[in-house]
Amino acid sequence: MKSYFGSYYSPSTEPVAATVLVFDRNLSIGYRYPNGRNAMIDWPLKEVEAKYNAPTQQTQLRNTKKPGELLVIEGSEAATYIQAIHAERQKPWYQRSNGREGIRNSLLLLALMGGFVLLYILIVPWLSENMAGRVAAKTEQQLGDAVYNAMNLQAQEDTAASRVLNQFFKQMAIPSAYDIRISVIKEGVVNAFALPGGRIVVYSALLHKINTYPELAALLSHEFTHVNNKHSTKSIFRKLGSKVFIGLLFGRFGSVASVLIHHADELKSLKYSRSLEKEADMEGLALLTKRNIDPAGFTGLFTHLKEAVPKGAMPAFLASHPDIDKRIAYIKAASTTAKVETDSSLLSIFNQLK
Amino acid sequence: MIITTTSTVEGKPVQEYMGIINAQSIVGANIFKDIFAGLRDVFGGRSKTYEKVLEQAKEDALRELSQKAQSMGANGILGVDLDFETVGNGGSMLMVIATGTAVRL
Repeated sequence: MKSYFGSYYSPSTEPVAATVLVFDRNLSIGYRYPNGRNAMIDWPLKEVEAKYNAPTQQTQLRNTKKPGELLVIEGSEAATYIQAIHAERQKPWYQRSNGREGIRNSLLLLALMGGFVLLYILIVPWLSENMAGRVAAKTEQQLGDAVYNAMNLQAQEDTAASRVLNQFFKQMAIPSAYDIRISVIKEGVVNAFALPGGRIVVYSALLHKINTYPELAALLSHEFTHVNNKHSTKSIFRKLGSKVFIGLLFGRFGSVASVLIHHADELKSLKYSRSLEKEADMEGLALLTKRNIDPAGFTGLFTHLKEAVPKGAMPAFLASHPDIDKRIAYIKAASTTAKVETDSSLLSIFNQLK
Repeated sequence: MIITTTSTVEGKPVQEYMGIINAQSIVGANIFKDIFAGLRDVFGGRSKTYEKVLEQAKEDALRELSQKAQSMGANGILGVDLDFETVGNGGSMLMVIATGTAVRL
């Protein structure tokens, strides 16, 4: 903004002394009538024509829409200033000074965001997994026990079935650094899960659906892989790493951004979870084939799961586990050459459940 | 329009005092500017983004002040004082208050 003193001429009044304020888009003229009344006029700058009259050393401002009105300001400065504004307005937006600045800032911001995304997608998960790998088995065990205790499942435990399952697993003779403890919980959920440090929880509804010992072996080897490959610990660390990173970056900016980012984060962790499930399936299968247990145990197990899941449930990209049909397909593809023998000791332990 | 922090203008006696006027401008730097400024805070140095926002707020306040003076028929503002404050949640917005006496010189 600039301000000037000048004289305002109009057909209806005598010339009066006026104060002139020049803004980016308009120009306002304030003056006082001889009777003491104040008046203000506003001229849009695009209608103003500025000319410097060298002989009189005055700037003359005319409004193209209001012929007959004239504003006279001493000196050339007003003319130069208004002409400069006109020149700036005639440039295309990207050549104007604030347009250029906008472009530069957007590029900088894009680069910065790209860097953050790269950091978030690649480096943060890598670092968190690396840290998870360094966690001692004992620490994981404490963590798993804490979670197990917090879930308050002990009261519903079917100790007899738990004993049989632990015996069954021992008979499978899978070497591990973890002390695997299996608990059967009486509940109607067709599910099982593994906690960090060696705890595996199997719900009785799933156990009832299992008909053959290879199915049980498939279930336990799948959950065992989760434990042995530190899947839960890695998931926890990844989540923690993401949260810390997002917190550092967006923590200050209220809840709106965090809701969006939280959901994106959720989808990303689901994808990660599906990849872990596949890993557990494949390595579980390898454990089975090594002991000549029928890989059909997996397909049988998946069929039971499929029966328990209502039709039209989550599409694959929104689910924590891969689609069951896909799981059956890749297990079948990977187990074509498996050698199968009946293991009588596993069978006899399994029969104790029935 | 003469806008000054002094109480008199050299060579121009005040003919008429028209009262105290004030104008304020409250601006929020946007989320991206906050990120840039946050980086400045980490790496050190002058934060031009915030400086520009402050400058803009000051310009806006003074512009509004002179418009008010003009509408009263004044041609000068004496004893102008600029106050800078932060308002909003966690001081996330900047406020500039301009105060002065509108006069006719």
